[in-house]
Amino acid sequence: MANFARPIRVKHMAFVLALLVFASAPLVTAQVGYSQRAKEIGTHLKCMCRGCDMSAGLCAHPGGSFSGPCDTAKAMLKEVDQHLGKGESEQQIIDAFVSEYGTVVYVEPPKRGFGLVAWLMPVFYIVVGLGILVFVVRKWALRPSTLTHAPAGHAAAAIDPNDPLARARAQAARETED
Amino acid sequence: MDVFGSFSLLLAFVCAVYAFIGGIFAIKTRHPLLIKSTRQAGIATCVLIFISTISLEYLLFSDNFSMAYVVQHSNRDLSTFYKVAALWAGQEGSLLFWSTLLSVYVISVLLVYRNKNGELMPYVGVILAGVQIFFLTLNNFVENPFKTLATVNAAGVLAPFTRMDGNGLNPLLQYPEMVIHPPNLYSGYTGFTIPFAFALAALLARYPGEKWIHLTRKWTMVAWCFQSLGILLGAHWAYAVLGWGGYWGWDPVENASLLPWLTGTAFLHSVMMQEKRGMMKVWNVWLVFSTFLLCILGTFLTRSGVVSSVHAFANSQIGSWFVGFILLTMAVCIIAYFKNRDYLKSENMLDSMVSRESSFLFNNLLFLVACIAVLSGTLFPVFSEWFTNNRISVGAPFFNKVMIPIGLAILFLTGVGPLLAWRKTSGDSLKRNFGWPLVVGSLSGIAALILGYRDAVSAFCFALCGFVTWTIVMEFYRGAKVISARTGMSKMMAAHELAMRNTRRYGGYVVHFGMVLIFIGLAGAAFNTEAQKAMNIGDSLKLGPYTLVLQSGDTKVDKNYTAQRMIIEVLKGNKQIMLLYPEKRQFQGTEQAAGTMVAIYSTLREDLYVVYAGMDPESNVPVIHAFLNPLVKWIWLGGVWVVIGTLLALMPNRRATLVLSAATQLAAAIPGTAALTPNVTLREGHD
Repeated sequence: MANFARPIRVKHMAFVLALLVFASAPLVTAQVGYSQRAKEIGTHLKCMCRGCDMSAGLCAHPGGSFSGPCDTAKAMLKEVDQHLGKGESEQQIIDAFVSEYGTVVYVEPPKRGFGLVAWLMPVFYIVVGLGILVFVVRKWALRPSTLTHAPAGHAAAAIDPNDPLARARAQAARETED
Repeated sequence: MDVFGSFSLLLAFVCAVYAFIGGIFAIKTRHPLLIKSTRQAGIATCVLIFISTISLEYLLFSDNFSMAYVVQHSNRDLSTFYKVAALWAGQEGSLLFWSTLLSVYVISVLLVYRNKNGELMPYVGVILAGVQIFFLTLNNFVENPFKTLATVNAAGVLAPFTRMDGNGLNPLLQYPEMVIHPPNLYSGYTGFTIPFAFALAALLARYPGEKWIHLTRKWTMVAWCFQSLGILLGAHWAYAVLGWGGYWGWDPVENASLLPWLTGTAFLHSVMMQEKRGMMKVWNVWLVFSTFLLCILGTFLTRSGVVSSVHAFANSQIGSWFVGFILLTMAVCIIAYFKNRDYLKSENMLDSMVSRESSFLFNNLLFLVACIAVLSGTLFPVFSEWFTNNRISVGAPFFNKVMIPIGLAILFLTGVGPLLAWRKTSGDSLKRNFGWPLVVGSLSGIAALILGYRDAVSAFCFALCGFVTWTIVMEFYRGAKVISARTGMSKMMAAHELAMRNTRRYGGYVVHFGMVLIFIGLAGAAFNTEAQKAMNIGDSLKLGPYTLVLQSGDTKVDKNYTAQRMIIEVLKGNKQIMLLYPEKRQFQGTEQAAGTMVAIYSTLREDLYVVYAGMDPESNVPVIHAFLNPLVKWIWLGGVWVVIGTLLALMPNRRATLVLSAATQLAAAIPGTAALTPNVTLREGHD
């Protein structure tokens, strides 16, 4: 029918710090066939089974007959262990997976190349937004404070016949009721 | 019945087209009979859509397996409860359901305002009919739910064909929340059509910018409340059913539901700028336009399968229809705006940077940045594929890193904003208002660290929660003290009276408090731990203070599924607390046959979340996956407060007359207090 993808499980606060908590509690036993370290690195690699959107380290494969790491995730974690055996660093391992599976294996975009764009976007929005805000605020603050505000929606009291907005306001008040 | 449903759907389309075209003529000619007949066509459209939905439900209930939709999403043994939900289990049904919920709003608006707002309503009617035409086009001609099964018979002729049983409902949807989560979320999505229609109508009718705000205030709150509730119920469903220990995964469809919520929330705040100060009229119009467009985009992302997601049940051709509709709506909005923007002239003016006005500006900035950041993150994989031919995935860690700072900044403003005065806040009042909240906030942060929540970001979040809570308490306390002094009521009664006199303001504070609780729950996620183990009977698994002992397993047979159930004893220290029964269900008649039923022992402190993952493929021993998730319950409690707050805000303000007369008597009796009484009326309606 469809792909029942399921995303990577969430860490709402400080993902990295949460991982430290994980690390300090080595709970997953060796019987699963991969090391705790492989599982940690696996949280930075997307499970390539194409049936879930989770990371290999946290794959729970909803809808499958086994809600644990699926076979693909397990194979990936074992592969991580092989790399670890060769003494590779986390970054080297991730790079090895990227050359094997392509950029889809990333869980978060890399902070280089086109992936950097993803990280810069939110910063860009904040900067531009703040810029616009400061510009607008300055413009507004410079306005003479003699401009009095008529209470919204009830401005029918004194209509200046030459002001089209006041006329429209009076008309709107006539034609509608709250 | 299928012909009946199909025909009423077609007739609804015809009526909507009449309401649209006739409505345009009615606006031009102002002919009273034409205005009336187009309004009635609008009502007829809604009624016909209701009939058609009831027909589809009837077909589902009567197990009519000659219908393609019934075969795909139901089966004989499916319980009645879930046959209701089968209506929105598939593409065709959920689009019809969209039309239905939209019709509930449309018919309400058309009936409530049938004798009111005579000049504006024809415009509103035309816009609503326009939106309905789009969805009815999909319902009728693209994704018609009333298709029958057919097969080529021996004679080589296409003949109707009936299956013995259906494929059944997707097991992931066979959970109570799935019966209430989609209706809530859809009610949110569709509800924003109403403020959109009024905003656009007022612009087309050349009404000054403030008019539509007054008319749609409550409609917007209703839509917002449904949207909030829908999002939270969806999170709870993900938590309780998917068995991955989390509730929010930044899945594209989850994100899609968050987008209009973010702009809608920004809008609920910025309307106050317009009401109180006549500012930001252009901004508000565009906020509501964007919210509506994001609702349509959300439906599009959910339904088109353009991004892979748990919810993208079907990939189909409707994508181009949605893109077309979004572009057309944008074009109409832009043209209307440039033609009539003179009528949105605002009295924008700012006296001080430290004022309620500027806090609203920052609030809107943050909500907008949050919205655009989520949107661009969600679409980034698509962009990266366009530009580099390589799809770069963007997952939860990215969104968490980006959104946590924005979320905390918004939480900070939640506390600051209400304490700042309109126009200008003096240094003295800053000291008076912020002293205690800052103290309470710092103490909350320190208390969290002492209690063992040792994570810098979380501790900061707890501190902000304490800060915001205290500002809310102070707001209630101050107001209650004034009323209590004047009327002699107890403080509690006075606080109630206070809330009833200005429901929107104090309802807003209650919603803020709900958000504080939600943030406490989210901050707990930094301390999640888990353990997984293949367990034989009698084996135990330790997780935090708990020890889980596998006692036994059994099999449960239901009409629609067979469940394997593990019975797990939970010990804390050496004391038995309870038994948990996590299940693995094997459903009938579906390819995606398995479902998990998580067992959760939930307390305010933490959730012990136990999943029976299934038999270990190699050793054939049951695997238990347990999570310890602190503070999750606070999220759901926060949701309850959000709803209570919104309901309070929807109530009409109680007039202060009763109290006023009591106060006047009091004033008469005690000389020197008379000067106080007029303030009672002055305070009313003051946000």
